[in-house]
Amino acid sequence: MREFLDMGGYAAFVWPAYAVTFGVIVLNIVWAQRLLRRSRAEAQRRLAMRGEAP
Amino acid sequence: MTWTWFHRLGSPPYVYGLAARLTPWFAWPAALLIAAGLVGGLVLAPPDYQQGDGYRILYVHAPSAWMSLMVYTTMALAAAVGLIWRIKVAHAVAASCAPIGASFTLAALVTGALWGQPMWGTFWQWDPRLTSELILFFLYLGYMGLRAGLEDTQRADRASAVLAVVGVVNVPIIHYSVTWWNSLHQAPSIMRLAKPTMPAVMLVPLLAMLLGFTLLFGALLLVRLRGEVLARERTASWIREAVSA
Repeated sequence: MREFLDMGGYAAFVWPAYAVTFGVIVLNIVWAQRLLRRSRAEAQRRLAMRGEAP
Repeated sequence: MTWTWFHRLGSPPYVYGLAARLTPWFAWPAALLIAAGLVGGLVLAPPDYQQGDGYRILYVHAPSAWMSLMVYTTMALAAAVGLIWRIKVAHAVAASCAPIGASFTLAALVTGALWGQPMWGTFWQWDPRLTSELILFFLYLGYMGLRAGLEDTQRADRASAVLAVVGVVNVPIIHYSVTWWNSLHQAPSIMRLAKPTMPAVMLVPLLAMLLGFTLLFGALLLVRLRGEVLARERTASWIREAVSA
């Protein structure tokens, strides 16, 4: 296990590279879901303003 | 040859429903492929004979770099379709691409720097490949800044589409930079005409990652596209059903 974490002495480069990439993946998932949620809420608000609440 | 599929793809309610149905078909295979690529790249693949375990950065760097170019190309194509045929959905696709592409371009630059330091002895060089990739990052930022600066969605769509289409000239420059100029960056190992220069045990995890990231882009694009389509439809009656579901 320690050998694996040490990455042949490259741990200081390999792990941050993986952390950054998976951080970007997680952020993208959060951003995309937030955009859709906000667009839906905004559309609902517009409908409500016109008296057409679902 | 019938063109009904093309016309249906221009219809916001159809696209909204289709995107919702298709998302899991992209998201789950993406998750499985990336998980498999992770195990293959970090555990199963042997150390490189020159770079030891340091080369494992490849498994996140190459897919990120691939995303930066593939997403930009998709964005430029969608923008061109939107400009030529005045299709709102196409502009919505282009707008959905930009934040995804920008973030993976940043990931490609950062993982590249983390690979460059131990192998080349420097985090950064004003090298053709690195510089053109940095310009790509600024193109994405310019595209998003331009959109954010224009209140009117239609004007934002058209103005940003022109920028996206003009900027696509940078894509082949990035891809061929390592062959055209003397670059620190290594030449392609798999995106080439001849056989790949890697044994299967190293190559297969990389291919899993490349396909996994591509499918992930599909899933992210589909979710964002639904948001963008909703935001563009101010009055359409189908929205009532879409948001009440």
